[in-house]
Amino acid sequence: MSDLVNISTPDFAGNARRDGDNLLLSLRGNADYAAVDSVEQLLAKAHAEAVRVGTKEASVDLRELEFMNSSCFKSFVGWITEIQEMPDKDQYKVTFLSNPKMHWQKRSLHSLRCFSVELISVVEA
Amino acid sequence: MTGTATPTGPNAYVELNFRPNVQLVSTVRRFVSEFYQKALGDPDGTARVALATHELLENAVKYSIDGDTTIRIEVTSGDAPRSVSIVLRNRTDEVHLATIRELLDGIAKAPDAFTFYQKLIASKAKTKEGSGLGLARICAEGEMTIALRVIEGDIVELTATTTVPAPGGQP
Repeated sequence: MSDLVNISTPDFAGNARRDGDNLLLSLRGNADYAAVDSVEQLLAKAHAEAVRVGTKEASVDLRELEFMNSSCFKSFVGWITEIQEMPDKDQYKVTFLSNPKMHWQKRSLHSLRCFSVELISVVEA
Repeated sequence: MTGTATPTGPNAYVELNFRPNVQLVSTVRRFVSEFYQKALGDPDGTARVALATHELLENAVKYSIDGDTTIRIEVTSGDAPRSVSIVLRNRTDEVHLATIRELLDGIAKAPDAFTFYQKLIASKAKTKEGSGLGLARICAEGEMTIALRVIEGDIVELTATTTVPAPGGQP
């Protein structure tokens, strides 16, 4: 398993790594306005690697993410849009791992999934 | 920052007069989340109104002319479903005011807030500046309604309201 990007700030941490052909991303802490650039960077690097290696699946662990503001949420929308614009055969699926105790996650991930039901799934873990 | 809070009594409320910055927004969200949890006793309701509080305050950080902001959060007490109101007041410019009006008109004309939000998400997917999703997110994910009032020309008052089931009660 190799790290693609590691971001650590006092209030937010993000990581993306490869596990074979799959991508594993994790976000922890507080994804507020101060974290927008970090989230953008994380998703951009993860997507570039996904394209490079022909990833079929990415997993995004949000279980320790306390909050996500609308700007960071929009970064995810942008990422999913990039995947949607790939040729069908190259698109990869995205699975979000959510924490049922973080009630905002259920609502926000529902919104995101409705944006792209065919690409996104959500698992409470 | 000045503020008052009453966690108990007929109606519990918090009122803050301050100049929020990016860091303070999350600090206030955490503080009011604790207030909401105590006043509402409902984790999902707490999450909804905490989200709304955060998005409203980030809007104030981005668009307030002078930075000064007043936020008042009030929760009714009793056995009935709780009414929550978040009133945010700050000075803003005409461009932002027009944006708010357009957005609230769009929500009002849509079949429901979630449908509007989904269309907005799609339309903003490739834009770079700002998210433009915050107020619609409050209405869709937060299940709140937002009313706009303009005072003395450039003071914008946004009131977000919702109902949260009483602990163990009917929604």
